Amino acid sequence: METLSYPNVQETLYREVLDNGLEVIVLPKEGFNKTYATFSTKYGSVDNRFSVGDQEPTKVPDGIAHFLEHKMFEEPTGDIFATFASQGASANAFTSFDRTVYLFSATEQINTNLETLINFVQNPYFTDANVEKEKGIIEQEINMYRDNPDWRVYFGLIDALYHEHPVHIDIAGTVESIWQIDKETLYRCYETFYHPSNMILFVVGGVKAEEVFQLVRDNQNSKSFEPQGPIERFFDKEPDTVKIKRKVTELSVSLPKCMLGFKEKKVGLTGDDLLRQEITTKLMLESLIGSSSKLYQELYEKDLISDSFGHEYNSSTGYAFSVIGGDTPNPDELIKQIQSAVEAVIEHGIEPAAFERAKRKKIGGYLRMLNSPEAIAGEFTRYRFRDSNMFDVLDYYEKCTLDEINERLREHFDFGQLAVSIVEQPSK
Amino acid sequence: MTQFERGQLQRIRLHVLPTKRFKTFAISLFAGLTLDEATVTPVALIPFVLRRGTANLPETIAFREKLDDLYGAGFGFDVYKRGDSQIVQFRMDVINDEFVSSNTSLLAESLHFLGDVVTDPLLNNKAFFQKYVDAEKTTLRKRLEAIVNDKIRYAAERCLEEMCADEPYRLHPLGKLADIEAITPASLFENYEQWLENAALDLYVVGDTSLEEVTRLVTEAFQIKEGSPSSYTVPDVRHAVQEVKKVTERMEISQGKLNMGLRTNVGYDDDAYPAALMYNGILGGYPHSKLFLNVREKESLAYYAASRLDGHKGLCTIQSGIEFANYERAVTIIEEQLESMRQGQLSELELNQTKAMITNHLRELQDSAYEMIAYDFNSVLTGKERSAQQLLEQVQAVTAEDIVNVAKGVQLDTIYFLRDRKEA
Repeated sequence: METLSYPNVQETLYREVLDNGLEVIVLPKEGFNKTYATFSTKYGSVDNRFSVGDQEPTKVPDGIAHFLEHKMFEEPTGDIFATFASQGASANAFTSFDRTVYLFSATEQINTNLETLINFVQNPYFTDANVEKEKGIIEQEINMYRDNPDWRVYFGLIDALYHEHPVHIDIAGTVESIWQIDKETLYRCYETFYHPSNMILFVVGGVKAEEVFQLVRDNQNSKSFEPQGPIERFFDKEPDTVKIKRKVTELSVSLPKCMLGFKEKKVGLTGDDLLRQEITTKLMLESLIGSSSKLYQELYEKDLISDSFGHEYNSSTGYAFSVIGGDTPNPDELIKQIQSAVEAVIEHGIEPAAFERAKRKKIGGYLRMLNSPEAIAGEFTRYRFRDSNMFDVLDYYEKCTLDEINERLREHFDFGQLAVSIVEQPSK
Repeated sequence: MTQFERGQLQRIRLHVLPTKRFKTFAISLFAGLTLDEATVTPVALIPFVLRRGTANLPETIAFREKLDDLYGAGFGFDVYKRGDSQIVQFRMDVINDEFVSSNTSLLAESLHFLGDVVTDPLLNNKAFFQKYVDAEKTTLRKRLEAIVNDKIRYAAERCLEEMCADEPYRLHPLGKLADIEAITPASLFENYEQWLENAALDLYVVGDTSLEEVTRLVTEAFQIKEGSPSSYTVPDVRHAVQEVKKVTERMEISQGKLNMGLRTNVGYDDDAYPAALMYNGILGGYPHSKLFLNVREKESLAYYAASRLDGHKGLCTIQSGIEFANYERAVTIIEEQLESMRQGQLSELELNQTKAMITNHLRELQDSAYEMIAYDFNSVLTGKERSAQQLLEQVQAVTAEDIVNVAKGVQLDTIYFLRDRKEA
C-alpha cells in the first residue's frame, strides 16, 4: 500500500495494485458520515472495435457498453438494487464515452456494501429473456433523451464534428442498434473490459484505509481471473475537418439553442501532456468568454445570450473539442459576434487581469470540488484512466502562464475547424 | 450531529453551524413571502435585478469580477415555492482562507458582498437602474417561456398547476408572463422595499466560524431596518377530492409524459409525516419501490417511474415517461399500486429496505453544508422542530399500520398526460 499526501489541499490517498491487476484507491475523509465507492471500467461508448492478445478484432453494436451497464444489475437472485436497499445503500451506474462506473453511497454496513458492489460487477448474468426485456426500457430511455433539447444540441454538435470517431455515436445507441444486441455479444464485451486489470475501485469517505484494502484483497483472492493481455482498441482514421458545418435539429423550444464546437486537429496527447492541454484550454476559455469576461457581458447586453450560456472543453487521446453556447434568439448573429470578438482577442492577446481572475476562479472551483466525495471519485478515476493525477490539477493551474494561454488561444480558434449545432422550432 | 447556533439581528434570523469539515463557507439567505398573484412576478424579478450591480459595484462586469477575485466565490439565486410561500434564496460559497494566500477574510468579504446585493442595490432616485430592469425583464420572460423546453419538468409543473387551479400554489414561482411588461424601475423599487419589510429573512452560514463572528459581520454588511423577524404561514394541507381531474395536452414530442398528482392530507408538521415518507418510499421513491418494479422492471413500459413527496403542500406526485399507446395500461398499473398500498400489501422487506434508504439519506445529508441548511430550513418554514436524528428515529418506529393509515387518506386528484399531436 502506498501513501500519497497532498498537504496543499490537506488530503491523503492510499493506493495499491492487487495481484490480479485491480487498482484500489482509498481517500479517508475525517468527520464524514458517508462513504462513496465507485467501481469503474475503462470501457465506454467509444470502445466499439477491439481485440485482446491475438484475437481477431470484433465490432460490436452501438450502445452496448450502456446496455451492459443496465444488465449488470440483474443477478440470478434478483435485482441488485433490492440488496443495496436492504443494506441502506443507494446505488447507481452510468456510462460515458470512455468509462462505465458502478457506485453506491452509504452510511452504514460499508463492508457489506463494498462486497456487494465488487461481487455484482464481477458476476454477469445475461439470459436471452432478460436481455430482451431490457430493450423496451432502453428504448424509452433513448426516447426520453430525444425530447431533451439540451442533450440534442450537445450530441448534435459532436455528431457534426466527427466523421469516423465513435465519440459521435449516442452513448445509449439507437432504437435500431440495441435490437441487435444479444447475450453472446454482451459476454464478449464483459470478458474483455471487466477484467480487474482494466478496472479501478475508488473508496472515499468515513473509512479506514487498511480495513478497505484487507477486505478487497480477501475478496479478490477468493476469485480466480485468467491473466489477460493488453486490450487493443481500433479506430478509423479521423479526418482533420469537421463533418457538418451546420447541423439543425427541429424540436419544440421557446428559443433556439446554439452551440459552437472547435475541433482540435492535433490529437494523440496522453498523460500529463493531455492534462496540461486541458487545463490551459479551460483557463483560456474562462478568460475569454467566462461570465465575468467583457465578451460575455457584451453578448448579454445585446440580448444574444442568457444565463444558460457556457463553455467546456472535452478531450481525450483520440478526440478533443471545445463547446461554447446556449440559448439565443439569433444563432447566426451570435456566431458572427463571437467570431469577430475572438479574432480581435487573438490579435491583442488576453488581458493579464482577466487571466489572473480566471485562474483564481478555477482554483476556487477546484478546491470547492474537494468537498464532494462524488466529484472526487469521479474526477480522480477520469484522470487516472488517462494516466494523469487529479491532485496535480491545482499545480498546473497555478503554474499556467499568460503566454501559454495566448498560444493556446491562437492554436485552438481556427474557424475552419468550427461546427455549429442548432436546435430550433420546426418550420411550419 | 452538530447543531445550528441561533441569533437574531433586527429582521434577520441567524443560523450558524460552526464546523471544520468543509473547505468552504456555505452561505444562504432565504427571503419568503406568501404567494400572491399581485406580487409574484415583481418579487421574482427582484433577485434578477439585484444581481446586476450594487451601489458599490454598479457595473455588472465589476460585480462579476469581484466574485472571481474572491477565488471564484459561487454566487447564485433561486426562486421557488414551499407550501404557499414564494421563496427567494441567495446562495454563496467561498473557500476557507487557509487554502489560499489571501490577506482578507473571504467570509467577511462574501457577507459584505451579499449584504450589498440585498440591501444596498444600485438605485437612481427611488428607482432601480432602467437598463438593468429592462434587460432582466427580458431574461425573466425568456425563463418563463423556456419552461416548455424541458418536457419532463414542464409536464410536472402543468400537473401541479391543474391540480391546484383554485389555490395560490397554481402560480409559477417566477410569476406570470403577462405581468412583466407593466413593471417599471420605480414600481419594482416599491415592491423591493415592501419585500424587505415583510419577507421572512433567514441567513445561514456553515463553516469554520462562530455565531459571534457572523453576527458582527452581518451587522457591518447588511443595512436592515429595525423590526422583528416575520414568520411563515403554514398552509392547511387537508383537501377532499371530489372527482379525479384528467388533462391531456398535445405537443411535438417523442415520448409521452404521464404525471399523477395525489393529495396526502399529511403535512411536514404532522405526526404522520414519517409514515408519509415511508408511504412515498415504498410507492416510488427508490429503485426497489413498487412503481419502478411494476412499471419498469415487470412491464418494460418506462425508463423512469417514480414518486416524490412534498410535505409542505401535502402532495405526492408520480411521473413516468411512456409510449403514447401505453397510457391506459400505465395508469391502470399505477392505480393498482395505490390500491395495494391501501390494502396493506406491504412486505417486511419493503419496509426494511425503505427504512434503510431514508435513514441513509438523513445521515448523508450531514455531509453537505447546503443539505443541512435545507433540512434545517424546513423547521423555520413549518415551526416544527424535528432534527434529522429525531426524524430518523421516528421513521424507524413506523409500522405497516401507520403506512396503511396514510394510504387511506391519500387521494388521486389529477392525471396529466403530455403526448404527441397525432390523433389516434
